[in-house]
Amino acid sequence: MLNIEDLKLSLKKEIIDELNLEEMKPEDIDDDAPLFGDGLGLDSIDALELVVLLEKYHGVKILDESLGKKVLASINSMAEFIQEENSKTL
Amino acid sequence: MYIKASSTISHQPTFRNKGFSWQLSELNPFSALLTPDYSAFIPAMERRRMSEVLKMSIACSIDCLEQAQVSQPDAIIVGTAMGCSIHTKNFLDKIIDANEGLLSPTSFIVSTHNTIAGQIALLLKNHGYNMTHTQNTLSFEQALIDGILCINNGSKNVLIGAADEEETTIYNMKGRLDNDSIHLSCGASFFILSGEKNKALAARVADVATFGLTDDPASLMKEFMTSNNLLKGQIDLVLYANGDQNKTKELETIFGTGKIFDYQKITGTYFTNSAFAMDYAIDILSQQKHPAFDTEINKVLVCNNLIPENLGLILLDTQND
Amino acid sequence: MKIFVTAIGIVSAIGLSAEENHCSLKAGITGIARSPKYNVMLGEVKLTNEEIIALLDLPGEDFSRTTLLSLLAAKEAWGNNKIASDIRTGLISSTSVGGLDRTEEYYFDSKKNNSSETYKLMTFDNGGITERIACELGISGYIGTISTACSSGANAIMQGARLIEANKLDRVIVGGCDSIALYDIKGFSSLNIYDEDLCKPFDESRKGLNLGEGAAFLVLENDQSISITGNTPLCVLDGWNNATDAFHQTASSADGKGAYLAMVNALTKANITSDKISYINAHGTGTGNNDLSESIAIKNAFNNNIPAFSSTKGFTGHTLAAAGAIEAVFCVQAIRRQALLPNLNFSTSMPETGMIPQTIYQAGVQVEYALSNSFGFGGNCTCLIFGKV
Repeated sequence: MLNIEDLKLSLKKEIIDELNLEEMKPEDIDDDAPLFGDGLGLDSIDALELVVLLEKYHGVKILDESLGKKVLASINSMAEFIQEENSKTL
Repeated sequence: MYIKASSTISHQPTFRNKGFSWQLSELNPFSALLTPDYSAFIPAMERRRMSEVLKMSIACSIDCLEQAQVSQPDAIIVGTAMGCSIHTKNFLDKIIDANEGLLSPTSFIVSTHNTIAGQIALLLKNHGYNMTHTQNTLSFEQALIDGILCINNGSKNVLIGAADEEETTIYNMKGRLDNDSIHLSCGASFFILSGEKNKALAARVADVATFGLTDDPASLMKEFMTSNNLLKGQIDLVLYANGDQNKTKELETIFGTGKIFDYQKITGTYFTNSAFAMDYAIDILSQQKHPAFDTEINKVLVCNNLIPENLGLILLDTQND
Repeated sequence: MKIFVTAIGIVSAIGLSAEENHCSLKAGITGIARSPKYNVMLGEVKLTNEEIIALLDLPGEDFSRTTLLSLLAAKEAWGNNKIASDIRTGLISSTSVGGLDRTEEYYFDSKKNNSSETYKLMTFDNGGITERIACELGISGYIGTISTACSSGANAIMQGARLIEANKLDRVIVGGCDSIALYDIKGFSSLNIYDEDLCKPFDESRKGLNLGEGAAFLVLENDQSISITGNTPLCVLDGWNNATDAFHQTASSADGKGAYLAMVNALTKANITSDKISYINAHGTGTGNNDLSESIAIKNAFNNNIPAFSSTKGFTGHTLAAAGAIEAVFCVQAIRRQALLPNLNFSTSMPETGMIPQTIYQAGVQVEYALSNSFGFGGNCTCLIFGKV
């Protein structure tokens, strides 16, 4: 399992790739910046894409909307969720 | 109907290049789409979800609105035969790749035919009339007819255009046109039409008509002439598309002119290439001359017979009334 | 000038004719069920392609299901109409799927097995399907296709009316069709707006839509055409409008601006005040977003004085491009039968609005004007208003 810093970097690259954020680099995304609304400016379709991304690349599922809102808030919250879920299966 | 602006992105150097009709040569079959820097027209967050047909349509639309100095058109009307076929193919691929797992929705939501007109409205925050016509080779002409209806019903400025992108894996165009030797291409052409005369562009759409499932396009062409009070020899230039090269002699007889020009040589083949032909006609009318012919040109007919049983006719002139 | 509706034709999950459809609406019987093939709730037309080909006595060609469903409905509507040189006649259809059912079949097969059935790739062209209908009915001349996602059918009807009004045509057969494609099932599922169970339009606990398939056509005529055909007007198409929400590609704005504009402007076109509307056939897909947004728009357009309204998508499923045409036919029937149509699967109103749809079929009601809403991706909003003759 990746350490959390590598995981966050990985997440940033995957997000840039999957959401087609062509003009962004990983260093442009702060770990704790809000991904939706005022921060990165992602929308409800991006939220669905991120749910797919988490399952595809990290094998973790988000099964309800309120959990999704918490987990997808920032890179930090996504990385923490992945680590928690993966440690459950160990 | 007066034309206040026109803009085309194609395999030729047409974009923001007034006078292009005198610079174009026959389309190179290996040519690629010539695109501007889209970042100048579309913010990154919107651009990331757009396939080529969306990007070129928006760039042309914004170019037209700037030319005409119009911030909000009263109507946005698009003709497209294949719609967002690249996104359609992408989503089909995603269905296969996902197997039964979670599926990414982005390609799906931007794959409907009206995404072009819808995205233009979204970027402009335009709440007006918004329509998409998809009648294969007649899509643009029907968009034009619709736009003229809008103007006659009170709209001041109508943004009308057509676009198709090149995507051959989900539609067999050569099969449909029964012609293996066509050069497939793609493009977008947009215009602002208005009921008010303007000094910017000389050209005017005098009439437009479409006829589906005809077995006698020649008679329809003659009737169109009659209904526009035109005698043989009074159309200065016929821009024509049909797979059959032998049609030229027949057209010369119908229109009483030897100035028949196959516009597919310039545009390549895609279903809505008559929109490019209209921009080409506008450019010729602005100079009142075509590079292949000596005489003055004041009346041009775009005669779209790309599918033999479907006929689209657009009459353009520089008439001042 | 008045635009008359003189005929209707429809095929959907609740019937293979106008009469069958109306009987199901009256009896409150849904056509939506779990599809064994796709394992989702679907409003399927209860005929296979082979059965339709046999019914229509078509040559054994390869057809898109969209073409077949269109032909069933178009033929019912066209009935005994004939082509005449003194009646300028056109056809305007609409679709969002088009021939994608065949395209996707080929595409999925060819990825697995290198299929050589490339003829299936000839059906993607929407206009080609409309041409096939025209050919079967003997129509040539103005043949057009509209594709604006879920408002397509309504827009085709509006387009026909505008061409008659502009004196370009005297008679036009207008409508729309979509058939089931895995593409759409997967697409709406990926958006998390597909209800696992029967959809619940306007209900507090609604979870999304159920897809459906179907086709519907109407014949519109002016006075001039009717004086020659002798057809009896069923009702009048009094008003129409199309406007854009311009909020998001798929979601509607909180106050349903596009929907509000379409309704208000359609009322202006019909030259009536909102209190004249007896019945609204809502777009009402059963999604969280649409039903709330549309409710707010209705409240605003009707100044909180809301007439009886219902969504009939609990019967047919959401038939995408066909919806606007199917629901136009239902409005024509509501006027002819002087009845209000029911909204299935409703028990609790949304807390935000408290609006309660019509839940039973109610005959013996004065239905002077009926309004139909259809909203599509791209924020495309269309409203049609039909009135008694």
